[in-house]
Amino acid sequence: MPKHFRPAGKKKEGNAAKYITRTKAVNYLQVSLAIFRKLCILKGVFPRQPKKKVEGNHKTYYHMKDIAFLAHDPLIEKFRQIKVHRKKVKKAIAKKNRDLADRLLNRPPTYKLDRLVLERYPTFVDALRDLDDCLTMVHLFAALPAVDGERIEVKRIHNCRRLSHEWQAYISRTHALRKTFISVKGIYYQAEVQGQKITWLTPHALQQVLTDDVDFNVMLSFLEFYETLLGFVNFKLYHSINVNYPPILDPRLEALAAELYALCRYMSTGSGRVIGNSESGGVNEKESGAIKENEDGNNKASAKTDESELRLAQLQHQLPSNEPGALMHLVEESTAVDTDDDETKECKSLFKNLKFYLSREVPRESLLFIIPAFGGTVSWEGEGAPFNEIDEDITHQIVDRPTQSHVFLSREYVQPQWVFDCVNARIILPTDGYLVGRVPPPHLSPFVDNDAEGYIPEYAETIKRLQAAARNEVLPLPGDEDLDNSLVAAMMDRTESNETAEKKRKLEMLEKQYHDELKMEIDGVTFSKLSNEKPDKSQDTMDKDDAKSDHEDEKKQAEKDNDDISTALMSRRKRGLYKAMEIGRERKQDKVELLKKRKKNADSSASAKRR
Amino acid sequence: MGHSDGEHQLEGDDLSADDASWSDGVWSEDDDEGSGSGSGSGSGSGSDADSDEAAAEESDSSEDEVAPRNTVGDVPLEWYKEEEHIGYDIDGRKIKKRDREGRIEAYLKNADDAKNWRKIYDEYNDEEVQITKEEAKIISRLLKGKTPHGNVDPYPDYVDWFEYEDKGHPLSSAPEPKRRFVPSKWEQKKVVKLVRAIRNGWIKFDKPKEENNLYLLWGDETDTAENKRHGLSYIPAPKPNLPGHEESYNPSVEFIPTQEEIDSYQLMYEEDRPKFIPKRFECLRSVPAYEKALREGFDRCLDLYLCPRTRKKRINIDPESLKPKLPSKKDLRPYPKTCYLEFKGHMGPVTSISVEITGQWLASGSCDGTIRVWEVETGRCAKVWNVGGDVRRIAWNPLPERPILAAIVGHDLLLINAEVGSEEVQMRAKELLKIDEMAPQDNTDGKKPAVRWMKHEKLDGITLIHHKAVSNVEWHFKGDYFTTVVPSGDTRAVLLHQLTKKHSHHPFRKLPGLPVAATFHPTQKMFFVATKKFVQVYDLQKAQLVKKLESGFREISSISIHPGGDNVIVGSKDGKLCWFDTDLSTRPYKALKIHSKDITNVTFHRKYPLFASSSEDCTAYVCHGMVYSDLNQNPLIVPLEILRGHSSSDGRGVLDCKFHPKQPWLFTAGADSVIRLYCD
Repeated sequence: MPKHFRPAGKKKEGNAAKYITRTKAVNYLQVSLAIFRKLCILKGVFPRQPKKKVEGNHKTYYHMKDIAFLAHDPLIEKFRQIKVHRKKVKKAIAKKNRDLADRLLNRPPTYKLDRLVLERYPTFVDALRDLDDCLTMVHLFAALPAVDGERIEVKRIHNCRRLSHEWQAYISRTHALRKTFISVKGIYYQAEVQGQKITWLTPHALQQVLTDDVDFNVMLSFLEFYETLLGFVNFKLYHSINVNYPPILDPRLEALAAELYALCRYMSTGSGRVIGNSESGGVNEKESGAIKENEDGNNKASAKTDESELRLAQLQHQLPSNEPGALMHLVEESTAVDTDDDETKECKSLFKNLKFYLSREVPRESLLFIIPAFGGTVSWEGEGAPFNEIDEDITHQIVDRPTQSHVFLSREYVQPQWVFDCVNARIILPTDGYLVGRVPPPHLSPFVDNDAEGYIPEYAETIKRLQAAARNEVLPLPGDEDLDNSLVAAMMDRTESNETAEKKRKLEMLEKQYHDELKMEIDGVTFSKLSNEKPDKSQDTMDKDDAKSDHEDEKKQAEKDNDDISTALMSRRKRGLYKAMEIGRERKQDKVELLKKRKKNADSSASAKRR
Repeated sequence: MGHSDGEHQLEGDDLSADDASWSDGVWSEDDDEGSGSGSGSGSGSGSDADSDEAAAEESDSSEDEVAPRNTVGDVPLEWYKEEEHIGYDIDGRKIKKRDREGRIEAYLKNADDAKNWRKIYDEYNDEEVQITKEEAKIISRLLKGKTPHGNVDPYPDYVDWFEYEDKGHPLSSAPEPKRRFVPSKWEQKKVVKLVRAIRNGWIKFDKPKEENNLYLLWGDETDTAENKRHGLSYIPAPKPNLPGHEESYNPSVEFIPTQEEIDSYQLMYEEDRPKFIPKRFECLRSVPAYEKALREGFDRCLDLYLCPRTRKKRINIDPESLKPKLPSKKDLRPYPKTCYLEFKGHMGPVTSISVEITGQWLASGSCDGTIRVWEVETGRCAKVWNVGGDVRRIAWNPLPERPILAAIVGHDLLLINAEVGSEEVQMRAKELLKIDEMAPQDNTDGKKPAVRWMKHEKLDGITLIHHKAVSNVEWHFKGDYFTTVVPSGDTRAVLLHQLTKKHSHHPFRKLPGLPVAATFHPTQKMFFVATKKFVQVYDLQKAQLVKKLESGFREISSISIHPGGDNVIVGSKDGKLCWFDTDLSTRPYKALKIHSKDITNVTFHRKYPLFASSSEDCTAYVCHGMVYSDLNQNPLIVPLEILRGHSSSDGRGVLDCKFHPKQPWLFTAGADSVIRLYCD
C-alpha cells in the first residue's frame, strides 16, 4: 500500500486537502498563468509552506482558501472581460472594421482597486505598516526616464512622480522625517507616521537604464496596486491635516520641476501667498532667465510660461474656495503644535532660523525635502526660487564643487553630506570637516545599532561626544544629566571591574608564588640552594614567561571547561541551538575583529604617510 | 532622341514635324491657342493647317528620313578620342575633327552673337547646333517636370462619344432594378441595431471622462469588527534589510575591503560571496546611478509574490539561558579535581589499574609486560612482576584477606599472589593459589575445554587457559567467584569461575551480539552482561533473564554498576555515556555526550555519589551522580570537572580510571605510561 493511500470515494484530508500546487491552482481557476500572477499580486496572495509537502518538495503550494478567495473575486471576471475585449479589437482590426475597433478601443473594461486596498489593509495603520515596499517602488519608477516608446507609459511615471512628491510634501510638512542616509544605492529616508516607522529608498537623481533582465509586467502589476494604495494613503494623510487632496499646484513651478516646493507651499499656506510668490517669482525669472534648468531636461519651460500664466489665472479663481479650509488649518496648526511629541518638536526646530541656498550641482529634490522637514528655509539656483543667491540672510550655501567662484563671507559653504549628518545626529554639527574641497568625514548609517553590532566607528563616537556637549549647553535637563551620569557611571564601573580583575590576577600570582615557596620548603630545599638556583631562574626569564602564559592557558582552559561542562547535560536539540548561536556570535566577533584590523592598518599607514 | 532633335535644327526646318509628334489629333484645337504667345507661332500655324492624318504620317516618316552625319553608330566616343576623325559620313569618308576653338574666340562669339546661349555643342557630329526658342522652352518645361508642350491640357472635359439617348440600341437594355428605388432592408436593419445600441447605451460616443476615484477610504476606525482582515492569517513579508555603514557612499576606511580581500572573494563559492562591495566616493557629485536599482526592485517583487511564507519563531534569547541550571559545585564537594601524584615507572601504556579494597595499594598492568603494585600514599612502587606479555586487564580481589590479583596477560588469565599484607594473609593466599593436580580434562564431547586451570610455575600462581582470547575480568564482591569474557567465544563467551573449587562453567548459551563486559551485582545474586548494544540483567539464582537495557549506542565499551545496584552507567565507543535507572525504564534515563572520542572506562565510587569516565581524548570527567532513596525522585546528575593532564600517545589517551574505595580520589591510567592520582 502506498504511503498516502486514500480509498476511493474518500475525501482528501490534512495537508493534501489544504494545499494546492501552483499548476493545479491555475487550472482550478481556469485562467492563464500571467493572469494568475497578476491576481496574486493585486490580492496579496502568497504561497505558503505546508508542514508536509504532499506533491513533492520542489513545488510551490498555495493554501486552498487563498485560491478560493481568488476564485470569488470579481476581478477574475474583469480580467476575462479584458481578454475578450482584446480579442474583439483584434478581430475588428483584422476585418478592417476601423470604426468598430476605434469604438472598442475607446471603452476598454476597467477595474478599480480601492476595494482590494481596503480588503488587504482594513485599518489605516495596517496600510502604513506595509508602506515600505510601496514607497520604494513608486520612488524608483518616479526616477525612470519618462520617454514615449519605452516599456512604461509616460503617464504612469508622471503619476508616480506626483504621488512621491505628495508623500514627501506631507512628511516635510508634518516634520515626520527621522533619519536619512546616502548610500550607493540611493538615499534612504525613515519617517514616523502614526507611530509606524516607514523606510524608503529613492534612487539618485540620475538617468536610470531600463535593463532587459527584469519582467516589467510583474513590476507594473505591483506598481498598479502601489499607486492606488499610495493615492489613498496620501488622501487620508492630507485629510488628517485638513488639506484638499488632489492638490492644485502652481503650474509654473510644476513646469520648472520644482513640484515638491510647489506642493509644500500649497500645503503650508492658503491662497494669498501663492499669488504674491508667483509675482516675486516673476522678478526672479527675469534675473535668472539666462540660467538653464539642469534637472529633467526641462527646456520647454519658457515655452510653457504663457500657458502657465493662463492657468494661473484660472487658479486664482479656484483658490478662494480653499480659504476657509486654510483658515481652519491655521487654527488646527496652533493646537497641533501642542500635541506634537518631543521628537517632532526636536526635528522641527533643528534648522530653525537657518537659511539655505542650494547650488546647481547638489541633489535638489532631496534637500528641498529634508531641509523644510527640519524647519529650515531653502532656495535654489534656478527659476521660481523664493530668494536668490545674493540674499544676505542666507546662512548656509550647499555646494558640491571643488572651488567657488564668488564667496560671500556671511555664509558657510558646506557639502550636502553636512545636512544629512546633522539630521541624523539631531544637532548642528561644526562645518569644518564639510567645507568645500575637503573630503568629508565618513557618512555613517543611522540604522545601525553600534552597541549591538559591537563596533563603534570613530566618527560615531565623535558625534556622540558632540551630542553630549550640545545637550549640556542647550538643555541642562536633570533627566539628561542623569543619563550622562549613568553613562559615566557605567564607564567607571567598567574600568573599575577591569582594575579589580587585574588586582585579582596579581594576588593570585603572589599566592602562587607563596605556595611554590612553601612547597619548596616542604621538599626540603634550603634557602641557600634556592639562592643558588635563583640566578638560573633569572637567566631563563623567558621560561618563566612561558610558564606564565601556560598558566594563563590553563586558566582559559578551566574557564572553557566550566562553560562546556554544562553543555553535556543539554538535550541534543538545545545543544544544537546553543552551538548555532555560538557560531553566529563568533562570526559577528570575527567581523568586528576584521574591522578593527583594517582600521589599525589604515591608521598606521596614515601615520606613516604623515611622517 | 537628343541628336535627332538637333538634326531638325540643323536642317533649319520649321517645327512642323516635331509639333506633330506631340500633337495627336485630339489636342490639335487647343494647340492653336497655347502656342499663340510663342515666338515660333508662325511656323506652328503652318502645321496646324494640315489635316490630322497628314501630320501623323509626316511625324512617322521624319524619324526615318533624317540620318546623322556621322555613321559610327552608337559606340562610345572615347574610341575616337585619339583619332583625327570623329567617324565616317554616309559615303565612307572620314569626317575630320574641327579645330578646337580658343577661349577668347568663344568669349568673343558669346559677346557678338545674341543667340549664342542657344548653341549646343554636338559631340557626336562634332558641330555646333543652335536650338530654337521653342525647343529651349520644352527643355525648361521638362526640367520642371511638366508636359513638354504648354498646349497640353491634362484635364479636359469629358466628351461622351456615344450618344444613345435616342438611338435604337442602348448599351444595356435591362430595366432599372427595384432596389435602385427602394431603401435597403439590410441597411435599415443595421441602422436599427445601431440606434438601439445607442439608445440602450451600448454604444457611447463620448469618451469616458477621467473621474477622480480617490476618496477617504479608511473612515473612522472605531468599529473593530469591521476592521478585521478576513480569511487566513496574513503573514506580512519581512522588511528589507536596512543599510549598514558599509553601504554608505562615503564609508569609513575600515569598511572598505583591501584589494587582496576583494580578490579572495573570487575563490569563494557563489553564494558565500559578498553581494555588495563597499566603495568610497570623494563627493556626492561623483556618485553614479546605481545600475542594479531596477534589478533589486524586481527581485523584491519576486520575493513578495513567489516566496512561500511561514511564521517562524525566532528565539532571541541569551545562549547562556539554554544551559541547564546546575547546583553549585561547592555544595557537591568533595570530588577529585587536581592532580596530586603521578606514578611513574611503566615503560608502555598503562592499560589497566585496580585499587585494593583497603585503599592502600594500587596495582597496574601495562603493555610493557609488567604488573606493578604501588603504595598509594607515597607513590612508591612496591612490587614488579614481569609476566611476559601485554597486560590487558587487572582486578584486585575485593576481600582484604585475599591479596590476589587477577590479570589478563596475552590470551589468558593469570591469578597471582600480590604479596602484600601480613604473613598469615600471604600464606592463605598461597594456599588458595595451589593446584594439586591438573584440572580434570572433560574431553567427552571432543571439544577443546573452555578453560583449563594450570599452575604458573614462575610466578607461583595459576593460569586459566581459555580457548580464545579473554578481554575482561571482574570479581564477585565476596571474592570467591569471578567472571571472564571471551568476546569471540560464541556459546562459551561469558564464563564464571570459582576460586576455592578451581571450577569454571559457562551459564549463557545465547547472547544478543558479542559480549563486551560482564559484572556482578554489588549486593544481590544478579549478573550484568554488556553486549555491543544491550545490557542483559540475569538472575543467577533463577537462571533467567530479568531485564534487557537498550542503550541505543553503536558499541558499548564499558559498564559500571552503582553500589546500590539499581543504577547502571554505560560508556560507548562514540564518546557517549548513559545512565540507566533500572527501576524506571530499560531505556537510558540520561545520555551525556561528553567525550569527543571513545570512552575507555566508566566507574562509580563505592561511597561518594561520584562517577567518572575516561576517554581516548585524554580527558576524564568526574560527575556527581546522586541516587535518592525516595523512589519518586530521579537521580541527580551534575558534571563536575574535566580532568586533564595526560598526553596523547599513539592516538590513545586515558585508558582506565578507578576511584579510591574510601577517599574521593580518582586514579587514571594513561597511554603515556603514567598513572595519575586526582584528589580533592
